[in-house]
Amino acid sequence: MTDVLEVTVRENVGSHAAKRVRGAGAVPAVLYGHNQPNVHLAVPADQVDAAIRHGTKMVELQGAVRDTALIREVQWDALGFEILHLDLTRVSATETVRVILPLELRGEAPGAKEGGIIEQQLHEVEFECAAAALPEKLEVNVNHLHLDQEIRVSDLVLPEGAKVLTDPDELVLHCVPTAPVAEEEEVGEAAEPELIGRREEAEEEAE
Amino acid sequence: MALMPKRVKHRKSQRRRIKGNATRGNRVVFGDFGLQALQGGWIKAQTIEAGRIAAQQYVRGEGRLYIRIFPHKSVTSTPLETRMGKGKGEPDFWAAVVKPGTILYELSGVTEAQARVCFARLAHKMPLPVRFVKRRPA
Repeated sequence: MTDVLEVTVRENVGSHAAKRVRGAGAVPAVLYGHNQPNVHLAVPADQVDAAIRHGTKMVELQGAVRDTALIREVQWDALGFEILHLDLTRVSATETVRVILPLELRGEAPGAKEGGIIEQQLHEVEFECAAAALPEKLEVNVNHLHLDQEIRVSDLVLPEGAKVLTDPDELVLHCVPTAPVAEEEEVGEAAEPELIGRREEAEEEAE
Repeated sequence: MALMPKRVKHRKSQRRRIKGNATRGNRVVFGDFGLQALQGGWIKAQTIEAGRIAAQQYVRGEGRLYIRIFPHKSVTSTPLETRMGKGKGEPDFWAAVVKPGTILYELSGVTEAQARVCFARLAHKMPLPVRFVKRRPA
């Protein structure tokens, strides 16, 4: 799915100007690529939030600039409350793009009913395909996953013409038996940690 | 048993100030949902353990809980009714230094509704204001 962003061109650049843009309810962005000059943009924050929430990668720019772009990078504040900046790359529909795609589990694993839990080790994969056919996420079907079985990157079902660049042997998820709940150990006196270098000194003195 | 380092270079540490927000450990990495600190402070090893027990009792056998903080700092105290002086006190407890934005715990293998209930129970044990967070979009 492609979201539409109504963009305006920013004349002033720099941290102070960007702060003013954020104060006005927009997100500063930059558009680059295709050997054309960089354009500094401001995008309404609600449209950016919606696009990020939907997991959209490809966006249609309207307003001051009319182009198709790929969301290359999103900068968040330290607490993850708001988006600080967007990097947009110009792309054409026929172009091949590389993106990081999230993996989404689909279905119910029979292994979960056999006394196991699904442990997902890999949440994102590096993915390459035509820009026009770029999915928002990769679905991983776990309907056939029994206890002690696993799914690796090479087992992922990909759209036609797409390629995963992550190591094919890397583990995506596995169904492992539930660990028994360990009995609480009774510890009388809280021991102190060992001091680095102190033991060697004591040994040297003994010699 | 409460967490504690296995080996340390020095038994006692200075208190130091907690400045700025967390720039590391501020994203959900291992699980699908997380509990994020909104203020800085020290979290005692015993408190981390209390949170773990509160959460584990709820997700028992279903999800997996990840603890993202570790008590690296030893905090000293002098006994009551002790006269001034005589040097720094003895180590009393171990604490994790937490900056605003740090992810304290993570959960995987449960639904969002279950994770919210679990973290609400866990949040009661925390000495700081916290919030429920999800994995950031890629």
